[in-house]
Amino acid sequence: MTGQSVQGVFEPKIIGFLCNWCSYAGADKAGGMQAPYPPNVQVIRVMCSGRVDPQFVLSAFERGADGVIILACHPGDCHYKEGNCRALQRHSMLNLMLEQLGIEKDRCRLDYVSAGEGEKFHRVIGEVVDTVRTLGPLQLTQENRE
Amino acid sequence: MKIGIYFCNCGSNIADKISSAAVSEATSSFPDQPYVVTVDFICSEDGKAQFEESLRMEQPDRVVVAACSPRDHESTFRRCMTNAGLNPYLMQMVNIREQIAWVTEDPTVATEKAITAIRGAVCRVRLQQPLEKKELEVCPDALVIGAGPAGMKAAMSLAEAGRSVVLVERTPVIGGLPVRFEELFPALECAPCMLEPLMGDLLHSDHAEKIELLTMSEVIEVTGFYGNFIVKIRQAPRHVSLHECIGCGECTAVCPATMKNVFNSDASERKAIDFAYAGALPNAPYLVEEVCVRSQGEECRACKDACPMGEDVVDLDQAAEVVERRVGSIILATGSKLYDASQVIGMGMNTLPDVYDAMQLERMLSSTGPTGGEILTSNSNAPLSVAIIHCVGSLDAEHKPYCSGICCQYAFKFNHLISARLPDTTITHYHRELVTPGKEAFTLFNHAVGNKNSTLKRYDNIRDLSVTQGKDNRLRVSAKGEAIAADMVVLCPAVIPADGAEQLSTLLDVSRDSFGFFRELHGRMDAAQSTLKGVYLAGACQEPMDVRSAILQGMATAGYALSSLQPGLTIEIEPINAEVDEARCAGCRLCISVCPYRAITFDGEHRISKINAVLCHGCGTCVVACPARAITGHHFTNDQIMAEIEGVLK
Repeated sequence: MTGQSVQGVFEPKIIGFLCNWCSYAGADKAGGMQAPYPPNVQVIRVMCSGRVDPQFVLSAFERGADGVIILACHPGDCHYKEGNCRALQRHSMLNLMLEQLGIEKDRCRLDYVSAGEGEKFHRVIGEVVDTVRTLGPLQLTQENRE
Repeated sequence: MKIGIYFCNCGSNIADKISSAAVSEATSSFPDQPYVVTVDFICSEDGKAQFEESLRMEQPDRVVVAACSPRDHESTFRRCMTNAGLNPYLMQMVNIREQIAWVTEDPTVATEKAITAIRGAVCRVRLQQPLEKKELEVCPDALVIGAGPAGMKAAMSLAEAGRSVVLVERTPVIGGLPVRFEELFPALECAPCMLEPLMGDLLHSDHAEKIELLTMSEVIEVTGFYGNFIVKIRQAPRHVSLHECIGCGECTAVCPATMKNVFNSDASERKAIDFAYAGALPNAPYLVEEVCVRSQGEECRACKDACPMGEDVVDLDQAAEVVERRVGSIILATGSKLYDASQVIGMGMNTLPDVYDAMQLERMLSSTGPTGGEILTSNSNAPLSVAIIHCVGSLDAEHKPYCSGICCQYAFKFNHLISARLPDTTITHYHRELVTPGKEAFTLFNHAVGNKNSTLKRYDNIRDLSVTQGKDNRLRVSAKGEAIAADMVVLCPAVIPADGAEQLSTLLDVSRDSFGFFRELHGRMDAAQSTLKGVYLAGACQEPMDVRSAILQGMATAGYALSSLQPGLTIEIEPINAEVDEARCAGCRLCISVCPYRAITFDGEHRISKINAVLCHGCGTCVVACPARAITGHHFTNDQIMAEIEGVLK
């Protein structure tokens, strides 16, 4: 993945966990619009945002990600009824853990994108890349890495 | 391990932005050095043939298809895998079209991003396991709970298609609420006449033998799952044999005990052994044990002796019975009832004479009701003025916030029926909103508006209305200082779920909404399916509805039951589901609390959780919740997802 671009602008590595039914479909919809957005987010498809193990997020940071975004169905629209509520609970818990590890909570965002919201997906990706770019590269101490 | 990468150019869609040559070059540094085949349109007939041929020739252990979204063609390429003799779950797709080529401006950057994504997929696919769809034998028969219009239609449709149906009804009669009404909106059809053919077919047609009707019965236990439910039903004693009784009424004539008749809203009396109302079906009386003089220790057997059909028809010692049936699907058709209007302050329900709810007026209008169809006040006079109050408890945050949907229509039906029988009586409608949807409802509304003796008055808040008794003993309906005298007030209360819905929701583990109606799987796409697989919703147990909608929804549930469970066929169980490693499960039951499908049960003997693969939808939330990491989410295992994360971050 991109680290430093030729111009010397920091290009963050970001992992995006997308649920199959809403947000992954929203990303496809954004694709159909064919409007370019920053290439920094690598998508990992899961069936439900409730499948996103906090361990996945921590490992992503440990292995070099500068940011993580979890995209879920809107509250009340979860294909699996309430998996997105679990994702929200786990995200709150993650925020506390990240704080203890000295990782800014803005590096791990949870948001909601429906299957029809190509424009929102496009906007959210732009925002998350900007946010993480402003925060700069994630520097984990050896102690926290362990 | 031999890994094949199939790169689709998608014409210029992908090729313009992502260089397959650069991808090929990059893959030499990937684990297991996959081979790369570039195809022009892999989803086309030629493309699929080329793909399958290559798979047969190369015999790869794992396959990556870099093309469009898996939401488009994952199933297509899984079929190609199967056709080529490979397990379909050994293939992973990379979405390089929608999520890379179409949204990345610079081809160099797009190619680099695609290489990264493909590396992630290669790392993941190495850990993917062959999975097999399992098949399960199922019972095609159905249980229908509730013999109102929706339940009867569902049962009849299933029976006509050759399915065996157990039809369970709490009351001694079939037909639900509408069969007790004289005339129905919007066309003023006689309700018993309209429902009679359906009820007759249910009891006596060629298909009737497929339907086991259990009246005065309730479901008391349900075990098992979709395709294989075991249901226990408790049948209260009727004391009269449905099969042998001819409905002559000799037993009723001689019965010494009387009681109020609940089927006439307690407005008339009946004998301890009696019919629910004239013309009720099945045409056989039932004995109310608590009222029978035998319950007071008397040795009465007048009814038994009066029966012309012999000794066996009336069974005074009959006891409750519990029967067990196996079914594949369950249709809930438990219906609705009216909200208790006495809960709405100021309406005078149960405190003032001549204040009736809609059900009481329906019975009064019915020729089989307590007044034989005459509209009479408690002093046995015809009312000169009738007030009809709509939206009693509906559209009201303190009671039921929803519109009950049917009340305006039956209120205007009342207007028509009252003015037809009592042409000089004035009728005043107090309404909050007016709801007359569809292509037919307007006729009764127009009639009410055109009726010179009727007035429509709109109110904002039911708290502005009050019903009181004046010094002249007539009722007074006041609305913000303006009052009218009335001899009869009819309330149109909110429609709420019938009794028993709560108990059934607990028995079956199907959820209800905040109003107590059964929750649909999806409000628009799947309004006739409950949240539990194999349990369907027909009629007003799902939301307030009229007879037409209930009948249609009854048919819809029959459709679901017929298409999903077919005799001789098995159901396929998706292999993308969760499984508990029994050796690692500590029995904490956290997984049970997070499963949205009640697919996990606790095995008390071995103190472990067990996942029912039929009910599991494969969302994976239990996999995350398990503190012992004892649950595997097949095809989305921790190792597979971690490998993909590592692959894209290398």
